[in-house]
Amino acid sequence: MIGLMKSMATTMKHALDGSTFTVEYPEDAPDVSPRFRGVHKFSQERCIWCRQCENVCPNDTIQIVQDDQRNGEQYNLHIGQCIYCRLCEEVCPVDAILLTQNFEFTADSKDEFVYNKEQLKNVPWYKGIDPLESRNPDRGAWIGEGDGEIDYQ
Amino acid sequence: MGTVQLFPQFVSETLGLSGVLGDVVGSLVAAAVVGNIVLAFTGVAGPWAKRKITAAFTDRIAVNRVGPFGLLIIPASAVQLLAKELIVPEGVDRPTWDLAPIVLPASALLGFAVIPMGRLGPVNLQIADPEVGLALVFAFASIASVSLVMAGYASNNKYSMLGGLRAVAQNLAYEIPLIVTAMSVVIFAGTLQTSGIAAAQADVLFSVGGFDVPTWYAFVNPFAFVLFLTANMAEIGRNPFDIPEAPTEIVAGYQTEYSSAYFVLFYLGEFVHIFLGGAILALTFLGGAAGPGPESIGFLWFVVKIWGFFLFTQWARSALPRVRIDQLIEIGWKGMLVLSFANLVLTAVIVGVIA
Amino acid sequence: MSLEAPDTPETDDVPERTPDELEALLGDLVVDRDDHLNAPGFVIRPDTVQETLSRLKSAAGYDHLSLVTAQEYENRYESIYHLKKFDDPTQEVSVVVPADKDRPVSESGEAVFRTADWHEREAYDLIGIEYDDHPDLRRILLPETWQGHPLSMDYDRDRPQIATLPAHANPLEEHHLDAESDTMFLNIGPHHPATHGVLHLKTILDGEQVIDVEPDIGYLHRCEEQMAQSGTYRHQIMPYPDRWDWGGGGLLNEWAYARAAEDLADIEVPEYAQVIRTMGAEMCRIAAHMLALATFALDVNGDFTATFMYAINDRERVQNLLEDLTGQRLMFNYFRLGGVVWDLPEPREEFFSKTRDFLDQLPGSVEEYHDLVTANEIFQMRTIDTGILPPEVAKEYGATGPVVRGSGVDYDLRRDDPYGYYDELDWDVVTEDGCDNYSRLLVRMREVEESAKIIEQCVDLLEDWPEDERTIQANVPRTLRPDDDTEIYRAVEAAKGELGIYIRADGTDKPARFKIRSPCFSNLQTLPEMANGEYIPDVIAALGSLDIVLGEVDR
Repeated sequence: MIGLMKSMATTMKHALDGSTFTVEYPEDAPDVSPRFRGVHKFSQERCIWCRQCENVCPNDTIQIVQDDQRNGEQYNLHIGQCIYCRLCEEVCPVDAILLTQNFEFTADSKDEFVYNKEQLKNVPWYKGIDPLESRNPDRGAWIGEGDGEIDYQ
Repeated sequence: MGTVQLFPQFVSETLGLSGVLGDVVGSLVAAAVVGNIVLAFTGVAGPWAKRKITAAFTDRIAVNRVGPFGLLIIPASAVQLLAKELIVPEGVDRPTWDLAPIVLPASALLGFAVIPMGRLGPVNLQIADPEVGLALVFAFASIASVSLVMAGYASNNKYSMLGGLRAVAQNLAYEIPLIVTAMSVVIFAGTLQTSGIAAAQADVLFSVGGFDVPTWYAFVNPFAFVLFLTANMAEIGRNPFDIPEAPTEIVAGYQTEYSSAYFVLFYLGEFVHIFLGGAILALTFLGGAAGPGPESIGFLWFVVKIWGFFLFTQWARSALPRVRIDQLIEIGWKGMLVLSFANLVLTAVIVGVIA
Repeated sequence: MSLEAPDTPETDDVPERTPDELEALLGDLVVDRDDHLNAPGFVIRPDTVQETLSRLKSAAGYDHLSLVTAQEYENRYESIYHLKKFDDPTQEVSVVVPADKDRPVSESGEAVFRTADWHEREAYDLIGIEYDDHPDLRRILLPETWQGHPLSMDYDRDRPQIATLPAHANPLEEHHLDAESDTMFLNIGPHHPATHGVLHLKTILDGEQVIDVEPDIGYLHRCEEQMAQSGTYRHQIMPYPDRWDWGGGGLLNEWAYARAAEDLADIEVPEYAQVIRTMGAEMCRIAAHMLALATFALDVNGDFTATFMYAINDRERVQNLLEDLTGQRLMFNYFRLGGVVWDLPEPREEFFSKTRDFLDQLPGSVEEYHDLVTANEIFQMRTIDTGILPPEVAKEYGATGPVVRGSGVDYDLRRDDPYGYYDELDWDVVTEDGCDNYSRLLVRMREVEESAKIIEQCVDLLEDWPEDERTIQANVPRTLRPDDDTEIYRAVEAAKGELGIYIRADGTDKPARFKIRSPCFSNLQTLPEMANGEYIPDVIAALGSLDIVLGEVDR
């Protein structure tokens, strides 16, 4: 009986203290971490069309089309298929593709989730957070001059 | 009843009708008013209050978008539920399957006919006051289990079947202690008439610092009160005795196959049943519509009591695990039944000695 | 377990046999040697499996059949039985059973280890090896109507899989019904509120009592092994382990792959990264155990219990920390071969103070759960002495993790087969002797407290770590090509138990065979032992206490 009362006292305590854990989204949007990985942003100006992101992508989310001079023509990314592993950003030597904090996107059909390079460029920063700020210090491990053996495939 | 005028008589007198016509019109109007009050309670309780209360216990916000405090969720939910497709599964046993959702709320609503809900101004909200009132309430309330069996059996679904069987086993095991405990109240009050039982609790038990504690049977015999409360929870199938539904075990029990309007009727019936349980509890142990202040606001006290009981069921649900079917039966037959008879004998002896 | 006071009594007394002694023990059963990186491997004839296994089990004490791996080579099929000891999992031996290429038949090990039942069924299903004497050799992951064995070499991926109507005829049609029978067949799942995913329990009921229950799995099979086999070691495999046990145990899963691949490619992980890994992994364990507690309360209390929300709240708090650390709340992809991808988030002090705040409020929360759940008499009535799993049976089925520790078996890879930074830290392995649903829950709740202890020590270490020694990754070549024909099997203590990875390298940058030993797979196999003869609600509770994640069962 004491255990039952303890249980009921516990829930009543939570009911009476009036605090809530859930928030009123979207008016009260929760903070996301600076490292949070959301929809990609692509910068054609930076891209050198090395296709490393396309190669590293574990599930063929990125599709790059080049002409016979190896100039980039298309950069398509299926954000509905993406698993947000951030490997594309990690291997990119010029920070041409970044994962923003933006996780709010909708579409009426699956194929609308295939973003071309214009759409990718227009993905807004979430709450004005530029992810590079929080990531820059650590990129050395990936593209630094380290004295280990680095081969560029 | 001589002393207090009942609701139908009030209606017919106000309208200036008499004879058979007066009786019929008075009864119909009174029944419509009481029925709508109860349905209004369930309307508030089901889509809104239950969500708000559960949310408070679980640190959430719950409905707050539609209307002030989210109150407009009530019509929204009603429309939403009724607009859904009524799916009639293959092989259901009609018309039993169609009747079950009607029997449940009907039986619970019927019980309110003899409940003295107290006065609101000049009106005494009680439709009928027969001499066997309390027995009638229990009789009406237990029709509900018939509905559950009908639903469980007719649905052509094994989960429904299990739920229906559980409902019968549970109602058998708990109705007897419930009624036996209520009998101890009858012994105290010396009457089965509901208004008489309420009136018998109007005396002063003792005074504490100028505050009179009335002879509500909850104060006179707290042991019987706890017994009755427990059996009542089982009777209306709330935690920890919600095994006829037991969503994590048998999906939704007897109502697994019901959708749309039929589901609404079941849902409604359950809430009316909770309120009826609260009303019986208020009547037998909490002095009916009695409370501080003039008698003419008695109805408000009655409302507070049945909503208090509703709150208690939700509170228990937030904290208490559900018992297993065999444990439930064991508690019912080996525990509650014995205790309720002991309580009855003891009450009879005490009342016999004092009287 | 601190360095000052090592308390690993039993691991020291377990006599270890050298590979040559084992070979002598097996005598002429051994045809050849095929050593793996983790253990000596003995090649035997396909008709001597039972004799070999039982000799190793009874005479040499290898009582834990961790995994059965099957694979096809150019010239043969092969089943590998990875054996360990519950008393000392570092003592391993592999029994390699080649089978004929044209007619792959091999003797079943089920008579020696019950757990081989499902493992061999999976091998039959995916590779196509047939096991003689197997009591019930049916497909397990794929539908019965499936044509071909997907991981075999000649499998035609383009072949349409058409299930004809007769093949899917209703098994409950009139002529199947026995009018005299008192029992009722009930399908619990695949869509049921308490099956924690798409699990199908074929249940035979006598009234409310369960006579027989048979888990039917495979509804969530996503070819995880095949996907790993088509990904590169260096990058492409790591995102996927997060998707096996998605109860929150992402980093623990990643560690299983990281450990196997690092040992395979001989990569040394910097100490600093190991501490971060240990901290992150234990945060994941808290998240996973909170989910287990929450859903168990859901199963036993009913679907509006406040316990569920409270536990999920605490899980959210851990996930906030994990999000700061890894950038994601569930699918972390934080480990890399040779370390982790990011150092702690800047400003470090803020992360430390957030973590400490969480650790400070955790004891209060745990106290609350004890009030809500374990101290509750009705809850005790429901869970104590239900779903009994005796330790011998648990071992027989290869159950691991909180399930086996709830049966009193003192087995935890973090201590018994140390990796990461665990052996430098002071913590205890939690066991309970009740063997019932209650014990399994209690083990998880107490493990949360132990995890908190570990995190606290890691935070202390990280706070004082000299700034110039914060190496988060070893130098690892961008393309890894482990030597041809090296094989390794490595396991870590994930949230649900022993999560092992077998990798065979073939000299390319992708694994030739990638086999996952899922703890949930083995744990779920014990369900009939726990459930038969109990009431329906106890089956639900037993299933909840196993804390399975179907993504890991079916892979």
